Amino acid sequence: MAAREISVGQQLEPLVIESVDPARMKTMAAILQDPNPIHYDTAVTQALGLGDKPVNQGPINLTWLIESAVRFAGGPERLVSVKIRFLGNVFGGERFECTGTVGAVDHDAGVAELELSATSDGRPVLGGVAVVTLGS
Amino acid sequence: MEGYEHLVGHRFPGGTYTLPGWLSWLWADAAQLPPDDDAAHPALAYLVAMQGAGVSIQDIFDLMDATADSGVMFGECQLDYHGIMRPGATYECDGEIIEVQRKSGRRAGVFDKLSFRVGLREPGAAEPVAVCTNTWIFPRAAGS
Repeated sequence: MAAREISVGQQLEPLVIESVDPARMKTMAAILQDPNPIHYDTAVTQALGLGDKPVNQGPINLTWLIESAVRFAGGPERLVSVKIRFLGNVFGGERFECTGTVGAVDHDAGVAELELSATSDGRPVLGGVAVVTLGS
Repeated sequence: MEGYEHLVGHRFPGGTYTLPGWLSWLWADAAQLPPDDDAAHPALAYLVAMQGAGVSIQDIFDLMDATADSGVMFGECQLDYHGIMRPGATYECDGEIIEVQRKSGRRAGVFDKLSFRVGLREPGAAEPVAVCTNTWIFPRAAGS
C-alpha cells in the first residue's frame, strides 16, 4: 500500500472468521504441544465453568490479529512490531472479527501505527497495536 | 504466600530450531488462513521462540508449580520483527524470564504474571529476525 494512501482514522478491512473451528484447535494443540485440555476436552471447560465449548488457542487469535495488520500493510515484510493483549476467551463455533484503525502515521519515519481489536460473538477478546512500514 | 520473583533472570536452555515447511502449512490451516510456501506467518515467531528456546509450555507450568488444567491464560504477546519468518529456515534462540509479579483483582483473585523474552537469530546474524515477549497469567487459589 503506498504511503500516500494511508491516513489517520482509516479503517482496516475487517478480518472475519465466521465460525471458529474446534477441530483445528486440536491440530494447534499438537503443533504447540500444549497440554491444556481446555482446547480439546469440553469436560474440562465445563468443570472450570467455561461452558461446553473448547477454548481457542491464544496463538490462533494472535495469528488473526496479525493477519489483519499484514493484509493492510501489504505483506509480512512490512510488519515491524505487534503488541497484543488477550482480554477474553474465544470459543468454538463463535464468530470472530478483527477490526482496526490507523492511529498514527509518521511519513518521515515511513511507519504507521495500527490500533487493533477483536471480538468473538460480539465480546471484546483482543486489543493491540501494530507498527507497519509504509510502501514506497 | 510464596512468590516466584526468584525466577527473574532464569535462562532457558536455548538452541536452534528449523521451521518445517509442513508445520508452517499446518499453522496457517489451523488458523483457517491460506498457507504461503514462501513466507511463514509472522505469528510463527511465537512457536519458533518456544521450540528454539528449549522450553515447553509444560516446563513453564512446572517452574510456576501450575498444572495444565489450572486455568493458565495468555495475557500479552509482543513480537518485534527485523525480517520475515521463512519455512525451512533455521533460527538460533535464546531467552529468559524477565518479570514475575503477584497481583490480585476483585474478579480474577490472586494471580501471578510471568513474562519471558526469546530472541530468534539466523545463524551468525548479529540482529534477531524477531523477538518474542510473552506474558502468561497463572491463577492462584488463596493461600497457594
